[in-house]
Amino acid sequence: MSTVWLDQVTDAYVPLGGEVGESFGDVVVDVAPDRWVDAVTLARDALGLVFFDWLSAVDELDGAFSVVTHLYDPAQHRRLLLRTRVGEDGAASLPTVTGIFAGASWHERETFEMFGIEFVGHPYLVSLLLPEGFQGHPWRKSFVLAARAAKPWPGAKEPGESEHGASPGRRKTQPPGVPDPVAWGPRTGEGATP
Amino acid sequence: MVPPIDLPSPSLGLLSRVAPQPIRLVLNWGRRYSLWVFNFGLACCAIEFISTSMSRHDFIRLGVIPFAPGPRQADLMIVSGTVTDKMAPAIQRLYDQMPEPKYVISFGACSNCGGPYWDSYSVTKGVDQIIPVDVYVPGCPPRPEALLQSILKLQSKIATESLATRYRPSAAALQRPLVTAP
Repeated sequence: MSTVWLDQVTDAYVPLGGEVGESFGDVVVDVAPDRWVDAVTLARDALGLVFFDWLSAVDELDGAFSVVTHLYDPAQHRRLLLRTRVGEDGAASLPTVTGIFAGASWHERETFEMFGIEFVGHPYLVSLLLPEGFQGHPWRKSFVLAARAAKPWPGAKEPGESEHGASPGRRKTQPPGVPDPVAWGPRTGEGATP
Repeated sequence: MVPPIDLPSPSLGLLSRVAPQPIRLVLNWGRRYSLWVFNFGLACCAIEFISTSMSRHDFIRLGVIPFAPGPRQADLMIVSGTVTDKMAPAIQRLYDQMPEPKYVISFGACSNCGGPYWDSYSVTKGVDQIIPVDVYVPGCPPRPEALLQSILKLQSKIATESLATRYRPSAAALQRPLVTAP
């Protein structure tokens, strides 16, 4: 990452109150949610970041989300991450950037259904990928992957799980987001998982 | 939308039903070596399916004819890949469009039971939850040889099959009045 580019970004975003930082070799600008549209417009018009790559969110727990978008300059091969934090004071919502990059539409719809972040002013904010009637927002960290609570995992046996018994068990490993069926769900308190 | 028409379930004519064993052998022999296949490729297993259809493994030598124009021309559906809850209605619909007799091979861990995505919020735990499966191929992904083996399994299953038993009309169907034209 060149210092020139970092200085250029800093100069551009200081008037907007943006905080310029660095993350894994990329320039990251944190802006307030009410300056979100201004920040994206500035990136496109003043910094030449005319290619919209993606937009998504990160669950920061306690109802807060970081919405991140990645913009690219195909002429100079420079890129920038714009980030804002929403939802700390109740419902998570953010103005849409579809007016600046039309391609942000599907990304905002995906972020809407997966995280439950509302994009105010989006022309068609409905589910994009999830089947009809799906309840909840599966990419939130609070979303429980409940399959294992309803029925035992049909895959490989861990030591101590075979039907022959008598072999010593060991601590069960659960994937992230998957609750222990003994502690959560309809089979709560049935003893050790089979 | 046109309301569904209640048609009788498909059955065979009297001659096929009472055909003697030698004729049934010939009929089954014809069906087992002309399987038009409909590839439902949903994920990386589809690449193994394509590999099986190409010259190195070449399942046409077993009589499996790849890339039927559509489900209406196909005898065999190979579901290769991860079935999601969003895709499940489409699989059901295309399976229903296939003419009888029809067969299904579930290729790979994902379509067998959900595979590594078993815990996911969006993956169906096996394609057999929506359509009947004849042969399961384990593996993640299975090698092309495994698909060849599953085709041989299916062919031996077809060889011993009796369509008369498969499409035996129910007692209710025998007493049913004629179906009037819609």
